[in-house]
Amino acid sequence: MENRWFAYLIPPFIVTLLLVAGSQFVFIQNSFYQDLGLGRTGTDLTLVNYIKFFTDSFYLKTFWITIKVSAIAALLTLFLGFPIAYVVARMKSRLAMFLLAGIVVSTFVTIVIKVFGLIIIFSADGVINKTLLNLGLIERAYSIIGTQEGVVIGLMHFTIGFSVLLLYSVVVTVPPSLEYAAQIHGASRLRVYQRVIIPLCAPGFVVGGLMIFNMCMGAFTSAALLGGGRVLTLPVLVQRTVMMEVKYSTAASIAFVLLVSVILINLFSLIAIRRLRSARLVVA
Amino acid sequence: MQTWTEKIILFIWCGFSYVFLLSPMVVVMGASLHGGEFSAAIKFPPDEPSFQWYSKIPSEQFEALALSLLVAAVATFIAALIAIPAALGLVRSNFKAKFAITSVFRAPLQIPAIVSGIAFLQLYYLIFDTSGLMLAGTIPGMLLGHVFIATPFLFGTIVAVLQRFDYRLEEASYSLGAGRWRTLYRVTLPTIMPGIYSGGLYAFMVSFADVPMSIFLTAPGFVTYPVELFYAMENDFDPSILASSSIVIVFCLAMLLVVQKVVGLETLLRSGGGSAR
Repeated sequence: MENRWFAYLIPPFIVTLLLVAGSQFVFIQNSFYQDLGLGRTGTDLTLVNYIKFFTDSFYLKTFWITIKVSAIAALLTLFLGFPIAYVVARMKSRLAMFLLAGIVVSTFVTIVIKVFGLIIIFSADGVINKTLLNLGLIERAYSIIGTQEGVVIGLMHFTIGFSVLLLYSVVVTVPPSLEYAAQIHGASRLRVYQRVIIPLCAPGFVVGGLMIFNMCMGAFTSAALLGGGRVLTLPVLVQRTVMMEVKYSTAASIAFVLLVSVILINLFSLIAIRRLRSARLVVA
Repeated sequence: MQTWTEKIILFIWCGFSYVFLLSPMVVVMGASLHGGEFSAAIKFPPDEPSFQWYSKIPSEQFEALALSLLVAAVATFIAALIAIPAALGLVRSNFKAKFAITSVFRAPLQIPAIVSGIAFLQLYYLIFDTSGLMLAGTIPGMLLGHVFIATPFLFGTIVAVLQRFDYRLEEASYSLGAGRWRTLYRVTLPTIMPGIYSGGLYAFMVSFADVPMSIFLTAPGFVTYPVELFYAMENDFDPSILASSSIVIVFCLAMLLVVQKVVGLETLLRSGGGSAR
């Protein structure tokens, strides 16, 4: 019996392994050749691209900005995602499904369309600027394109739908009976949050937060469109290095640095899950 | 058991999150109804609502949309052909390296799409250098990249469904005289079908929405819809692009309704296309 099922696994595994290993091997190897510009590369293996990355302040600054905007976006996304996840998880009516459906649809729509909407909302004569101007909070129209705030908002739109679904699966693991029990024993609602809900959800927040941070680190579209060429993150830099400077090896080395950072964060969150699980803090 | 203050705080907090989440799409649909004269004027709320821009959508956008639909549909189909046997084989056999094999199938999700994009582009250049066959800017080249990013979604949902599978159903089928293939087609596959549908929906949508992978694999006259939008946005755009975007938003909504009819929203959420990441 068992051998029969194992045979099912072999062909798809070979195809996937070829695709994964083949594509990754080629670009990683390319990153070790010197870039001669215009798509030409040297023939000797060298670390020159990496030395340049880690000594040039331009690349280091881009790396730092990527980490900074991703971290801010991940935290804000968790902050906005949690109430929806909590309310929907505790809701008993069928309305909960409709609310979740709204989230799912928003994850289906391509981020380019959402960025269109953001640009209209934040445009010089858009809703936000008009309101702020009328209230006298700002003196002239403020543009989010080309600012780090804009990139953060874009990254949040890229991840928030996914984060709500993720946090929802965390909140469902905390049975409402625990909340009732705490209240019967005299805990106020604030205390229920402090001592029951937040501690039990915390491991999920940590792991989910790392996953969202990872998505932000690798996010290209929203960062490219809202950065407007003035705020660069690593994914944007990869694309620009290929398309505008035609430097494949340099781009490959940047992409490899990005890949390694993302994999390290993943390993870290995997270890975090194991630790938390063995400490019996996570049910799922 | 919640107090009123808490309910009010949660309501406002949630409301704010929903406005943040949904407003860009509402605004795009609203602004597409702009009826004024000036093509450069993109306004929300629109001045004199009309559908004039819907008849002015240029043909390139329809061609891009058609290409995106074709690529997403075929890529999802191929991804299913890879993911179904893979998930069956993985869940049902016993061996030590399961974790390593699962990681390979899930790897495309861990790799940032932009990295996969440049990786496939360089792979295609290498193939071109050695065999003279250029895959970048062709349908097979585009498909290969999209199969790569779509497969993990199907794999994840089917594995999730299989782990809850009741083996007695298959035993009943065998004991009633059905053979292996008959059992597979009449019992096993129909039972995991909800997982295939919901995983397929996620896979289709991820492929349909992709920019970072496709942007490297396009060529002049061979552009997927999100990439077409991406380039339009870097230049000036007029409300016709908002009109076609609105059509896409409605299409996404329709896809969800279809899946709701076929497998139900609960299954879609439970089988966790979200958690497949």
